[in-house]
Amino acid sequence: MTAPAVHTTAPSPWRDPVILLALPAVIYLLVVYAYPLLWLLMKSFIGPAGPTLQPYISFMSDPFNWRVVGNTLRVAAWVTLFCFLIGYPAAFALARAGALVQIVMLVSIILPLSIGAVVKAFAWQIVLRRDGVVSQLLVGLGVWDDPQRLLFTETGLVLGAANIFLPFMILPIYSVVKLIDPRLSEAGATLGATPFYSFAHVTLPLTLPGIVSGVAFVFSMSVSMFVIPSLLIGDRFQTLATLTGRSFLLMRNEQLGSTTAVILLTLAVAIVVGSTWLARRLGGST
Amino acid sequence: MTKITTVSFTRRTIMAAAGAATATLAAPRILSAQTKEVVVGGAASHKSFVEQIVAPAVEKKFGCKVVFEGSRSLVNLEKMQKNKDKQYLSVVMMDDPVMIPAVSEGLLEKLTPEKVPNLKLLKAGTIHMDGMWCNYLQPWLGIAYNPKVMPAAPTSWAQIYDPKYKGRIILPSLQNTEGLANLFMAAHLATGKPMAEAQKDIDAAFKKLVTIKPNLLTVYTQMPQAYNLLEQGEGFMISSAISQVALDRKASGAPVDIAVPKEGIFSMPSGVALVKGAPQPELGAGYVDVMLSVEVQSALAAKTNSLPTNKDAAIPPGMPTNATIHTVDWAFVAANRGEWVKRWDREMAL
Repeated sequence: MTAPAVHTTAPSPWRDPVILLALPAVIYLLVVYAYPLLWLLMKSFIGPAGPTLQPYISFMSDPFNWRVVGNTLRVAAWVTLFCFLIGYPAAFALARAGALVQIVMLVSIILPLSIGAVVKAFAWQIVLRRDGVVSQLLVGLGVWDDPQRLLFTETGLVLGAANIFLPFMILPIYSVVKLIDPRLSEAGATLGATPFYSFAHVTLPLTLPGIVSGVAFVFSMSVSMFVIPSLLIGDRFQTLATLTGRSFLLMRNEQLGSTTAVILLTLAVAIVVGSTWLARRLGGST
Repeated sequence: MTKITTVSFTRRTIMAAAGAATATLAAPRILSAQTKEVVVGGAASHKSFVEQIVAPAVEKKFGCKVVFEGSRSLVNLEKMQKNKDKQYLSVVMMDDPVMIPAVSEGLLEKLTPEKVPNLKLLKAGTIHMDGMWCNYLQPWLGIAYNPKVMPAAPTSWAQIYDPKYKGRIILPSLQNTEGLANLFMAAHLATGKPMAEAQKDIDAAFKKLVTIKPNLLTVYTQMPQAYNLLEQGEGFMISSAISQVALDRKASGAPVDIAVPKEGIFSMPSGVALVKGAPQPELGAGYVDVMLSVEVQSALAAKTNSLPTNKDAAIPPGMPTNATIHTVDWAFVAANRGEWVKRWDREMAL
């Protein structure tokens, strides 16, 4: 609802000189991102005897690689879902909190970003081990009979990765929620809407842009994470990103590495663009 | 007017800058004409022992300057490939698996006893491919364990398969060089063949190796993580572990020790070679010769918790003296590793 309004104020965005402000960013991204990316894409399509699709055909025809694709997407989906379920309410709390509490919350969300994934993954290693906090808690609550290890399991990986990516879910949603006038829900209530109805028909559609960017951030980061799985689940669980890393760093097989990178990129872009489109459609229809 | 001034000013500046640059660039050349330089490429982790032990001995003997460039084995290989017509490295210190492509691309110069007299003092099995490179150290692979949770040291490589260690065993990935030892030992345990023969029977190796899966805590690619788990007591054993690393941790007070199993230990490849077409070839050979000398070998072995390759050098205290040391056929590894890693991915997966 808000998005089209921007377009109508600038009838021909290309003639607006403001567009020039993007120039430094565009040049920077072209040189250090688009060009190498293109070079990478080309590597996987060019064989010793000219253009080829052979790397893709041999990749697709190996059932193990489909398992790797499955691993990658499944873990990314769980991480995104988990981040959404705990990040969405947190974003509301953050947006509606008083000034001081809000500052404390923002700092505690943003500051951990400066620690880096390696340190956090090491910390999770301690939390998730057999005598770690999670295991002790679950045994104490009677959920588990015996202490168990979550480290080096898929659940452990999802828990750890969700922690690392959570700020990227909370912040975009928060930035949208704080713009929503709280009186809208009150207005809905005066008109007889139940809290659930006004959430589903007023609040949720309004926060959709935040959800879309949060999901896009978290999904694309978790689909391509490399250090976190290598520390939290190890070599026995391959994803497209770990296969790519190994092809370049160990096997020096640039073609295989480029192939898996292109497949990863295609899947990630397709899913992010697809879900954005779907979300906008759903949002528009309400 | 202004324009002209600007131009002449700029030109003058450029001239001055160029002059200064020439002088700066020329200075080291004048210096190096006085003291000869020999550039050695190696791994970043070699830096401390090269600069503290090897370089001073070489510099003293030949009155030259040793410049050490520490990166990674593969980077050294690339440096040699890119400078094929104008090499600047005289000596390279790389892992044996990387020596093989270097040999096949004709980047290395053969070591001979005429150029490197100390070559004659090396242990059997440490000179490779007819002298294309030799080993200057043998860090060895055994089983690292945590004495707090395992008061009795492991005595056999077969112990890691014992069901009582469910979820307690840490293995290196097959992409880590130290990971290959498990594959070869599994073949030996399964077939009973001598190691030289067993290490070719990779099919038997995998059939044995998959039986360890219930015991696995993890398969690591990042070594510090493996030691972290071991020291915390979450893992009981790292099979196989590099002596240098395990004993370093032990020396710093961590609950880590390394055992020499009865089937023997593996030597890790630490190779040194001369670069073909290198500058200062006689100094390069001199560097290798000094590195292999009894004095330097004794000091190197002690500093790195490894075995010396010079048979007259002192074996540091705490090192195995009469263990069987298995050597690895690196050419066979180089030819097949890609396939092994593929199979490992499939069969060892969670």
